[in-house]
Amino acid sequence: MKIAVAGKGGVGKTTLAGTLARAFARDGRDVLALDADTNPMLGVSLGVGAERTDLLVAVRQALDDGEVEHQTTGEGLVDVFGTDAPDGVRLVVCTRIERPNPG
Amino acid sequence: MRVAVAGKGGVGKSTVAGTLARLRARAGEQVLALDSDPMPGLALSLGVEAPDAPLAAAVVRGENGRWSLRPGIGPVRAVQRYAVVGPDGVRLLQAAKVPSTGGNPVPGAAQGFREVSRRIGGAPAFRGWTLIGDLSAGPRQSAYDWAEYAETIVVLAEPTWQSALTARRILRIARLRATDAVLVATKVRSPADAERVGELVGEPVFATLPADAEIAQADREGTAPIDHAPAGAVVQAISELGERLASRR
Repeated sequence: MKIAVAGKGGVGKTTLAGTLARAFARDGRDVLALDADTNPMLGVSLGVGAERTDLLVAVRQALDDGEVEHQTTGEGLVDVFGTDAPDGVRLVVCTRIERPNPG
Repeated sequence: MRVAVAGKGGVGKSTVAGTLARLRARAGEQVLALDSDPMPGLALSLGVEAPDAPLAAAVVRGENGRWSLRPGIGPVRAVQRYAVVGPDGVRLLQAAKVPSTGGNPVPGAAQGFREVSRRIGGAPAFRGWTLIGDLSAGPRQSAYDWAEYAETIVVLAEPTWQSALTARRILRIARLRATDAVLVATKVRSPADAERVGELVGEPVFATLPADAEIAQADREGTAPIDHAPAGAVVQAISELGERLASRR
């Protein structure tokens, strides 16, 4: 199963996505939660903790900063950049906007 | 006054921007509302109908593939020709909405808007005008500077972690740009709520807007808050916020 949640801000996208991920994981599925919002908050509703969510490293920025070597496979990306959330959900934050863009 | 309103989705950006615009216009100011959100919002809060991508007719595509305003069109003509006039004489210029039929916004319109937003701050014809911007949800448009005209970024947060973290990110970006920014607590039900917003975001709250069932009702009906509940608590609080912002400079 591969689903994406969309809608206007504040309608409950993150709450639904995070809760679905936890529920499916509790049913015994392997769950990958992908936060594709440039203002990533999925960690909050997954139960990773708000402050920790704010500190999660995004794939894109880590690569841009040259902190880690590029991974050439999906598994590698999830492995290197993922975070463990409760019930065994694996969370990956794709990108985040955190500073002014000079360009 | 030149401000842009930012924050997480659903915190009340359009309500604040639209109501503030109407109030300042009623007080006799010439007001231009600038809506850069690709999703609907500000037109409803102002109580006006506007075309999805008004500047589509004002742009040309250069040889490098980039869109820009047509020769002879600058901020003055863009506003004269492509802004709509709403209640109390507020002018509204929209960037480009995602069409209700699906697909992408009309190409070029957003780039044209961006150019207007860049140049309007320095345009002599708008000296003395009140400019009020409504930014899209999250930090993107603050980071990419869609509100160069703004003297102050008004960052909204309700007493939730998600909106507080978003406010932190936007405030951080504004300060890195050396742009003035203030934190406004919204949907506040008690003094403790306002304090909570300050704690979660990690800086003092500049102003507080109360939770107001009338606003939820206005949203449901698609009417402008200021028309739905002209004497309501939120409209009153936005009026006071406007006074404080106006005297900030």
